[in-house]
Amino acid sequence: MTVAAVRPPLVRSRDVLLGGAADALARHLGRPVAGVRVVLLGLTLLGGAGALLYAWLWAVVPREKGTPAAQPTRTLPVAGILLGVAVMLALAIPFTWDAPTLVPFGAAESGLLAVAAVGWALAVDPRDPRHAAAAPLVQRLAAGLLVLLGVALFPGTIVDGRPVVAVLCVVLALLGVAALLGPALLERATARGAERALLARQEQRAEIAAHLHDSVLQTLAIIQNRAGPGTEVARIARAQERELRDWLFAGTDPFAGDLATELRTIARELELQHAVRIEVVTVGDVAEVESHALAAASREAIANASRHAGGEVTVFAEATPEAVEVFVRDRGPGFDPAAIPAGRLGIRESIVGRMSRAGGSATVTADAEGTEVHVRLPRAAVSRPAS
Amino acid sequence: MIRVLLVDDHSIFRSGVRADLKDAFEIVGEAGDVDAAVLAIQELRPDVVLLDVHLPGGSGGGGAEVARRSAALLGEVRLLALSVSDSAEDVVGVIRAGARGYITKASSGADVAAAIRTVAAGDAVFSPRLAGFVLDAFGTAAASRDVAVTDDELDRLSAREQEVMRLIARGYAYKEVAAHLFISIKTVETHVSAVLRKLQLSSRHELTAWALERRLL
Repeated sequence: MTVAAVRPPLVRSRDVLLGGAADALARHLGRPVAGVRVVLLGLTLLGGAGALLYAWLWAVVPREKGTPAAQPTRTLPVAGILLGVAVMLALAIPFTWDAPTLVPFGAAESGLLAVAAVGWALAVDPRDPRHAAAAPLVQRLAAGLLVLLGVALFPGTIVDGRPVVAVLCVVLALLGVAALLGPALLERATARGAERALLARQEQRAEIAAHLHDSVLQTLAIIQNRAGPGTEVARIARAQERELRDWLFAGTDPFAGDLATELRTIARELELQHAVRIEVVTVGDVAEVESHALAAASREAIANASRHAGGEVTVFAEATPEAVEVFVRDRGPGFDPAAIPAGRLGIRESIVGRMSRAGGSATVTADAEGTEVHVRLPRAAVSRPAS
Repeated sequence: MIRVLLVDDHSIFRSGVRADLKDAFEIVGEAGDVDAAVLAIQELRPDVVLLDVHLPGGSGGGGAEVARRSAALLGEVRLLALSVSDSAEDVVGVIRAGARGYITKASSGADVAAAIRTVAAGDAVFSPRLAGFVLDAFGTAAASRDVAVTDDELDRLSAREQEVMRLIARGYAYKEVAAHLFISIKTVETHVSAVLRKLQLSSRHELTAWALERRLL
């Protein structure tokens, strides 16, 4: 029988008591964990060999594979235990005061344990879901113990004339202050660094924006001006200008469903498709209005103007407490609303019909100067965005 | 013939505008930065200055700085702002500094010529966007009712002025506004000039707050 073949690999679990070494050894050897622990503890008491073995296994045995996100977690509150022992050693110091050689050792050991508690609470516990919440408290308590130790022992050392302990006290107190304030200061410094980086990025963006504004936008404007409205070149330049402007001034969220943004989006799309220049002007809190019917009817009207009139189209949207209105005016050859060709009747129907179904109204007026579509929706029929 | 000074730091743009306007106007000079513009205005005393809003030089104030430094001459020299951006800060800044109107650089040569004539005649040039801004900044009928009690006459628009602004924002030319409201073109121009004056002199905090809060794209 080949024992080695059935033996589970020597790996440490991710959910352990302290380091997972005893558990790993027990599973690898097929013995009960309690037995392994007793042996290790026994060896530790007999000169420390158990502790050394444990530490060696802890350092050398790999952790079992798991999802990277799953942080190893410990059952034992290590930082708390270290702090507890440190407190007990500290409490023992007054009783050993009369044995001058013991005091520095007691204080130093207590201090070292407290420092270890702080280190554990800062370095290990924050990533351990079981102890993350208590870690700041343990860190502060341990730091407090260091300060207290230093401050409480110092007067006695002066009175009794023990310079070594006095120096130790000062070191302990300083360590305590560092352990108390250090992490917060470090965090603040990191945050400030991140802030500065963000600011630098924003500044760079503003610089790029200023440069593009002065060069590319100007050039696009000149192209439009030279090419004349309605030409292919002007149309492309206009579309590019709008795109760049949206990016530069990023004032409007392209995904927002409000009427102002939607009208601008519609304008941009139609400018790409037709030889038209669409000016969108909004007044009042149009940016807070959300109405599918209004947007759809406006789209029909603007598309209609772009297709049949072209040139310059003005879209004016105004939100008053009573109603939301959109005016779409073009400069095309006017048409008699009574004698609309069949093709346009459908479009007109989709504006007028849609608005009346939504509880609003739409009118089309035409004269020698051009055509104007007026859509109106009373406030009562307008829904506001959830935000 | 109307004497025009071109102020823009882009020589391509200046030559383009010059080509467009040279038959109808007398182009008396060109300037490419703030200091040159101020000097040219003082020496040449043109009827109309086509003034780019974004202009290098001086203390960095652009077109608005030119307007402020030429304030003493604005009775005889009229400024027409040219802007590539429609952002409220830029446009309103130069208007409040003394310009009589603004047009975008994408405007056609015919539009620029018409705007120059309007400004030269002492009237104001309002684009739909500027009219929209005015309506927003001064509050429309319902909104201004709350503040009308304490506000100065400069700080609100009359009902007629609002109507005129609304029609301009809808894309109507002055002539069409006049026909629509059954008033003369001269009356429309008077209303627009009155609104321009209010826009220039009003201390309504909404004017500045509005400009900061949103950007007209």
